[in-house]
Amino acid sequence: MFLKIKHFKRDFNKWTLLIVALSLFLAIPIFSILISLFSGNGEMWEHITSYFLFDYIKNSAILIFGTGLLTFTIGTSSAWIVAKYTFKYKKVIEWLLFMPLAIPSYIVAYTYVGLIGYGGTFIEILRDFGLSINRIEMMNIYGLIWVLSFSLYPYVYAGTRTIFQSYPSQLKHTASLLGVSNKKYFFSVALPLASPGIIGGMFLVFMEVLNDYGAAKYYGVNTFTTGIFRTWTALEDLQSSIYLSAILVILVFILVLIVKWLRGRRSYNLKQTNAIHKNEIKRTKLSGLKRILYLGILLVPILFGFILPLMQLVIWGIQTFDSMFNYDLIILGLESLSLGLSTALLVVFLACLLIYLSKWNYFKQFNVFSKIATLGYVIPGAIIGVGIIRTSKSLTDLFSFQFNLEIGHLVYNSILVLIYAYMFRFIAVAYNSIEGNTLKLGKNLSESSYLLGYGKIKTFFKIDFPLLKNALISSFVLVLIDVMKELPLTLILKPYNLSTLAVRAYEYAEDERVAEAALPALFLIFLIGTMITLLNYKLKENK
Amino acid sequence: MKILEIENLSKSFESKFEVVSDCTFNIQAGNICAIVGESGSGKTTLFRLIAGLERPDKGTIRINGTLMSSDKFIRDIKDRNVGLVFQDFSLFPHLTVKENIEFGLNKNKDEKVEKLLQTIKMENFPNRYPNELSGGQQQRVSLARSLAMDPDLLLLDEPFSSLDTQLKSKIRQELRDIIKKIGISSVFITHDIIDALEIADEIIFMDNGKIIRQCLIEDVFKEIKDEKIQNNMVELKKNAELILNALKKN
Repeated sequence: MFLKIKHFKRDFNKWTLLIVALSLFLAIPIFSILISLFSGNGEMWEHITSYFLFDYIKNSAILIFGTGLLTFTIGTSSAWIVAKYTFKYKKVIEWLLFMPLAIPSYIVAYTYVGLIGYGGTFIEILRDFGLSINRIEMMNIYGLIWVLSFSLYPYVYAGTRTIFQSYPSQLKHTASLLGVSNKKYFFSVALPLASPGIIGGMFLVFMEVLNDYGAAKYYGVNTFTTGIFRTWTALEDLQSSIYLSAILVILVFILVLIVKWLRGRRSYNLKQTNAIHKNEIKRTKLSGLKRILYLGILLVPILFGFILPLMQLVIWGIQTFDSMFNYDLIILGLESLSLGLSTALLVVFLACLLIYLSKWNYFKQFNVFSKIATLGYVIPGAIIGVGIIRTSKSLTDLFSFQFNLEIGHLVYNSILVLIYAYMFRFIAVAYNSIEGNTLKLGKNLSESSYLLGYGKIKTFFKIDFPLLKNALISSFVLVLIDVMKELPLTLILKPYNLSTLAVRAYEYAEDERVAEAALPALFLIFLIGTMITLLNYKLKENK
Repeated sequence: MKILEIENLSKSFESKFEVVSDCTFNIQAGNICAIVGESGSGKTTLFRLIAGLERPDKGTIRINGTLMSSDKFIRDIKDRNVGLVFQDFSLFPHLTVKENIEFGLNKNKDEKVEKLLQTIKMENFPNRYPNELSGGQQQRVSLARSLAMDPDLLLLDEPFSSLDTQLKSKIRQELRDIIKKIGISSVFITHDIIDALEIADEIIFMDNGKIIRQCLIEDVFKEIKDEKIQNNMVELKKNAELILNALKKN
């Protein structure tokens, strides 16, 4: 440390300054919430702790446990079958297994009520068969677990499948030679080795569960996120909603620590011990009864997570087509898309900036700031929204009292504030993906360029950029999808004259006009589905 | 004339342990110098310090009489006029052989590239991509790319480690011929003393971050007391390990 201080003047450069400034700028919502904690609790805090807080904690815990269990079961079983077996229409099924990601979970929640609620499509079919059933109760915490699990299992499926696919056949052969049964091999070798992918996927599921607002609100389940909204909007107590946000942030960090502890110091890298070549990975062809059983296992999540919700949306879409399909809807879709495109572009640019500033900065201790800037993905959108509102309030007060300037209309009704919030929330998506790829590139290529007389920025454009192009495109698409699906943050911060497909679908559903939510939802699914398909195509091309 | 002057150079990373510790040595212009040491002896870090890819904790580096780094000053990598051939060759995978070689050039590109392609005997492959070349060819392209800049000093990081034994001997001689033909001062690091004995004019032995001995190649024989080894070059090569141990003891 002494040496670093001694060399401060020599080693301090503009990149050091920029990384600190940029990271602090991005992390304003978090600092804002932390600082607000010291201003005392709000007027309604006692009321909240007496009547709601226990419910928020209990329900959030049940949701995490329930969705965790279900997504683990669905995600790992389907990943195992896809990775280890070949069967007819495998490519189509693989693609369909990803598709639930295209339907936001709150839209899936509406469709289930349309399917099995009073007068629901499925209920009518059952009645036609002579069954006197009025409805299947969905609008409770168990229904919410069902909906969220079938919407979010692809996170577990994606990470786990990649790991299962990388196992060389010799791993199974070694186990067989040691007399290990198939069942024991799966539970004591394959599954533990896949734990980084499983844990990583489940962590994303938990973050999405905690971030969910639309589905929980619709099903009437009190969670932290619905509580933050209610405290701020219905009880009009911003300070108490900040307190709730702080508790949720603490819970999230406990989850992060648990994930780190679960990962431990063990190595799961097969490359260290086995040379993995494509020809060493063999897949079994499914046949007979096993084929029916395994295909059934794969079709369950596709049916409940994608086909049934989509089918219900299509039915509603046809019913409301004449009244809902109009010029406004097209404009709304284009607005959503352009908001997503511009945000994704900015996010990818900022993620690159954070990564490369960290590389170019000689004081590696300062790189911790870039990690703070990427915390947004583990912080639910509602909290970020509240943090930004809190900052905006301080800013407008400051200008009003100190300079007698009213800037409220600029801050509260600006699309820039919304885009800024998206940037903080989703920068980690792009950051992690691009950083992983820069690590794969190594530093020798850019160092070669420096030695050949190129500066840092020129090297980035001449060497890193062309080699990272695919990673940048993937990150861009992932952020675009996330932005287009995002609901709580958009609801809190959107200017009054701007709407998105996600918000419009939510507003109709909130108004008890669920059928009319179908066309905006279908339009959103169509756009996201197209993005996922394009991304899949690009990734295959990369292989 | 000295091409490289290192004085009291030290570098540590996160831990307090010094990877390069108080190193002082000079290298004469026009010579090929080998820095020999086992894995973890600090030779790669020393190399990176010379190239400007790491920042020293203390000490000074001068190349061709010009100060490159001290406690208060660091010359930017691109202003050092140092060429470095990495162990993995680090050819830009999206550029052809020709584009790789001309990457750092601003003028007379075609003329210079053609000349270098002839020097490295690759004139028939200017449009090939790195993944279409053998290990030896990739190394020659990487060498040509560095030489194109007319550096004052050429650094080669373990230039033979990724080559198989049969190819090694051929490449060693080729490399020496090219370097001597161009007449550039060069330093290379290796863990294999035979590499050093075959192509270097002088050798620096490094252990635990410290320089333990520097001598001209002919003096290596004098350092060893064993007459059999002194009188027979073949024996000398066979007994490389013995030589290294003897030098460490002395």
